[in-house]
Amino acid sequence: MSKDTDTTVAKAPERPLMLELDSVSLSFNTSRDTFDHGVHRVLDEVSMKVYEGDTLGIIGRNGVGKTTMLRIMAGILAPTAGRISIAPGKTASLLSLGLGFKPELSGRDNALLAAMLQGSSRKQAQAFLEEIKEFSELGDSFEEPVKTYSAGMNARLGFTTALMTHVDILLVDEVLSVGDAHFRGKALAAMQDRITGDQTVVFVSHMADQVKTLCSRVIWLDEGKVKQEGDSVEVVDAYQAYVHRTRQEGIEQQRLKQEQVKKALEQAAG
Amino acid sequence: MSFSQYYFLADAMARMSLRADAKRFFLGYLWWIIEPFLYVAVFYVVFTVILVSRQEDFLVFLMIGKFIYLWFAKAVTQASNSIVLGKGLISKLNIPKTLFPLAVIQESLYKQAAVFFLLFAVLIYNGYGITMNWWYLLPVIAVNYVMILACGYVGATLVCIVRDFFPLISLGMLFMMFMSGVFWNVRDLGSPEKTDLVLTYNPLAFILDAYRQILLYDTPPDITHLLALFLVFLGMLLGISWIMRRTSQFLALKALTA
Repeated sequence: MSKDTDTTVAKAPERPLMLELDSVSLSFNTSRDTFDHGVHRVLDEVSMKVYEGDTLGIIGRNGVGKTTMLRIMAGILAPTAGRISIAPGKTASLLSLGLGFKPELSGRDNALLAAMLQGSSRKQAQAFLEEIKEFSELGDSFEEPVKTYSAGMNARLGFTTALMTHVDILLVDEVLSVGDAHFRGKALAAMQDRITGDQTVVFVSHMADQVKTLCSRVIWLDEGKVKQEGDSVEVVDAYQAYVHRTRQEGIEQQRLKQEQVKKALEQAAG
Repeated sequence: MSFSQYYFLADAMARMSLRADAKRFFLGYLWWIIEPFLYVAVFYVVFTVILVSRQEDFLVFLMIGKFIYLWFAKAVTQASNSIVLGKGLISKLNIPKTLFPLAVIQESLYKQAAVFFLLFAVLIYNGYGITMNWWYLLPVIAVNYVMILACGYVGATLVCIVRDFFPLISLGMLFMMFMSGVFWNVRDLGSPEKTDLVLTYNPLAFILDAYRQILLYDTPPDITHLLALFLVFLGMLLGISWIMRRTSQFLALKALTA
């Protein structure tokens, strides 16, 4: 962990440990003409723990490794260094929108396939279909090809089928910004229902306010490292202040550059 | 994921893909049989009109060769690209990577079933009656299917790790077409040693010949050789399935980042 990392770790909760990342790093080879001899480092010695019933938020700018971290937790990718351990018999899975959607097929067919991909048997998946139709509010369009859907209808179908995932550790990646305002509210309420229950959730989002509302603990990732970890309000406020500061610095740098150009032009003209 | 759940998922993926494909074209499911028949028509014109083939009953001879070759070549080529094309799913789910080539090969099996029925109809129409030896078709089709699975899984793994294998596999399929007696008779090479050599070392040539022996000459295939092929390809299939399971996360990284 880097020296500038501010880890305000709260006292470990008295609940069973569900998942642990221990100095996890992930890097991969890219094309030869990139820096670092073609090795791209996504995560760099990240350590964290998830306890039963936790709602852990992960925040950070684009490309800092949030989604990769979820993929490692879901077992999709393996760390190139470090260790990941999940409590015996527990499962972790990503809440995934639009699994295997084929535009030529109906919403019903696509929902059936998505439910099966998430681990349901054909029979269980068929039993979910009416529930999916009702929650997604697609009505008769549920029987129409998905290629005729608007972006909002697509998102509604995607979120509803994803909600069928039943795992011990639910990994959520930016899915609550779906559909129109009405459906977003409904999606958030459904998610809150899960979170206030026993469900253990790891939640990635750009939306700082949403993270504050939903999460008890937050990890702030920056350039593949844990920058800060702790109480959600404290970490999110620090992150927002950092985002504001870097934005201001960017504006200031832009202003200085413009002034330099202006001066150079004046000198050339004078 | 239990084996039955895994198999039914691959089957559902195959059926959905077939349905989506059929909806994409005006002639829909008819393309399953139109396409192989068009291939046969093209080859038939070239070999009877231009090259004047001396093979007896060349049309049915060619149909058997071409239909079996097309099944093998298309299924293996498409399966080889299947993990790479499935990266959308791979990025979201921790699923067995064998699911992708299996779904593609299952899809080809459904299409091939329709082609077989039509081939049998053409054979019967041309006076080739159903005999007891037709029972041998069952083990021949089974070995043919295991061979496709083994080659498809190997291709899918190689292409996922290094994309450059894909054009090589396509080229390899063209090579197999010329080497396996699709439009020439392996038993008509002028020397029995040459025939033996091809039948022993080219499994596709052996399988094509086995279909022809049963359907055209009412002769059972060499069961010992068929069993040997089955064991070799089953071993290869089990081996590559084990490797794919052990390297599942490595394959996911390759599919997502290459």
